[in-house]
Amino acid sequence: MNALLPSPATIAALVKIGLLIGGLMTAAAYLVLVERWMAAWVQDRKGPNRVGIPLTKIRLFGLGQPLADGLKIILKEDFTPKHVDKVLYNAAPLLILATSLAIFAAIPFGSVLPPLGIPGLPDPVPFLVAPSLDVGVLWVFALSSITVYSVLLGGWASNNKYGFLGGLRSSAQLVAYEIPLGLGLLGVVLAAGSLRLDVIMSAQAQSGVWYVFAQPLGFIVFLVAAFAEAARLPFDLPEAEQELVGGYHTEYSGIKLLLFLVAEFLHMVTASFLIVIMFLGGWHFWGLTGAGDEVTWAGALIRFGVLSAKIFAVILFFMLVRWSWPRFRFDQLMNLAWKVMLPLGLANLVTVATIEEFRPQLVAALGAGPAKWLAIAAPWAVFFIGWIAAGLLTPSGTDNRPIRAHDPFDIEHELSGA
Amino acid sequence: MLAAIVPLSPGVLLAAAVTASAASLWLLLPRGQSGRRERTARWLGAGLGVAALAAFIITGRRLGGLGEESVFLIVSLVAVVSAAATVVSRSPVYAAIWFALSLAGVAGVLLVLGAQFLGVATIVVYAGAILVMFLFVLMLAQPSGLAPYDRVSNEPLLAAVAGAVLLGLLSLSIGRLSAGDTAVAADVAPAVAVDALQADHVARLGGELFSRHLIAIEAAGVLLLIALIGSIAIVARGEESRVQERRAA
Repeated sequence: MNALLPSPATIAALVKIGLLIGGLMTAAAYLVLVERWMAAWVQDRKGPNRVGIPLTKIRLFGLGQPLADGLKIILKEDFTPKHVDKVLYNAAPLLILATSLAIFAAIPFGSVLPPLGIPGLPDPVPFLVAPSLDVGVLWVFALSSITVYSVLLGGWASNNKYGFLGGLRSSAQLVAYEIPLGLGLLGVVLAAGSLRLDVIMSAQAQSGVWYVFAQPLGFIVFLVAAFAEAARLPFDLPEAEQELVGGYHTEYSGIKLLLFLVAEFLHMVTASFLIVIMFLGGWHFWGLTGAGDEVTWAGALIRFGVLSAKIFAVILFFMLVRWSWPRFRFDQLMNLAWKVMLPLGLANLVTVATIEEFRPQLVAALGAGPAKWLAIAAPWAVFFIGWIAAGLLTPSGTDNRPIRAHDPFDIEHELSGA
Repeated sequence: MLAAIVPLSPGVLLAAAVTASAASLWLLLPRGQSGRRERTARWLGAGLGVAALAAFIITGRRLGGLGEESVFLIVSLVAVVSAAATVVSRSPVYAAIWFALSLAGVAGVLLVLGAQFLGVATIVVYAGAILVMFLFVLMLAQPSGLAPYDRVSNEPLLAAVAGAVLLGLLSLSIGRLSAGDTAVAADVAPAVAVDALQADHVARLGGELFSRHLIAIEAAGVLLLIALIGSIAIVARGEESRVQERRAA
């Protein structure tokens, strides 16, 4: 065989990459439209409903809006201020888009195709770009931690106080919420016994118990951390234009700003994928999809549809939350990460680890059925205890002043008083 | 084929590569010159560096297929070139960015060689956590990045020679290992290590770590915990002593 000819596995990977990037970019454009419709619905107005097919009078419910929006922002003047660090200023938006697309190498977007029988292509074909990557969850985690760089560099290279402080603020937020995110991930990884997202999905399908039922506390911690990592309201300090003069992308305009905004939108899509895959059962639905690796073409399509529907529902939830919650202040956001989410995540992790360690003994002592119910009931008990503890430990008053314990000024004050 | 391209023995080629890389590093390191002389030195250094890299590539062993070979070459070149750029760049922020890129290259090399966990962990731990902290401090401490100690390198000649000698010794010994000295190779790389790179990579790695190396893992964990407690203790003590100092004054 000609060594220069790509193997069937390479061609399959390229096809998947093409489908995924095309699908994601189109979805991002149309999700912006959905978001604007959602905003209009919440605020009791009509929203974009006029742009249809260009040069005709056909409106099509405003479905041409993403095209118009995209053309507008691409054709806008791409203005680079004189005082910026040119190299990093240009590199930051490219880096953030590249990493948020590369994350999808390890994220499955369906189950498997039925055997195709192409020589050289291992059957069945999974809906996953890099099926031999054994550390999928870690890959996602690693690339989302790279995202911090472009936020930090975009702010620094702008050479603007607002941009720089915005960059530091957002990167501190991203770094802080990576820890509860990781704790939420770890609980699921422990329960499924694998770092592969497709294995995590089929583990839920086989037991029929989605991890949102088995680990409610882990789900809450992961959900909150995912909102913060995607910089969505109530954690959208990176783009708080009214009170903080924007964030790291204050100095950007035109297509570079578009890259940042698309990447932020992709982070939301990634977060929805992860929430669905890790906690909401992925492609599984009781009595509809089956659980095994053997599928027909119809079965593969149904699984793909179930996964997409769930992801779309989670995205709608993201959008609804945006119009339901006020923004956190920065110290409240940090307190939530370190004082609430971190202990709750640890409690969940310890519970899951204990259950998984003693599961064989439980099954031997109680039988399979009662052991399964106990493994679900114990995390729920921990969930309610954690909830009540967090509620009791939170001060009941609404003191909205920032809490500054023992800074030099206070010490001075204390000393002069004593 | 190799001898046809370069009519030199591998030993001579390696020595030339080491010398060239030492000279190139010395020329590239910031030595407090100004204007045209610095620019000339940079161009010269870059040229010598490219020559040294080419020599190292020629002396090295070939991997399997064409695709694997080219991907390996690209990621390892990224790692090496950005590591050199880390040392020679004048701005601390740029040095940190180059270092991050170098880590990404190293992670790429590890991924190509099949050590997936190690590759991804390199990115998570070094690039994702430690270097971000560096960047925070660098950006806050020195927005302009033009302090004298950034513009002039400390002992450029000794540093360049030491680095190049280390490079040469490592490639010599590793080259001998991979060239088929099986007695040594078997001693250094036991069968288990190769086994950990097969399917179920992470499970095998975890089993290995938590059976044969259990004590080391636990000791490392305890050390990290002590460091954590120590840092908290230092922060708390600092505040206390500040109050006491003021009270005494």
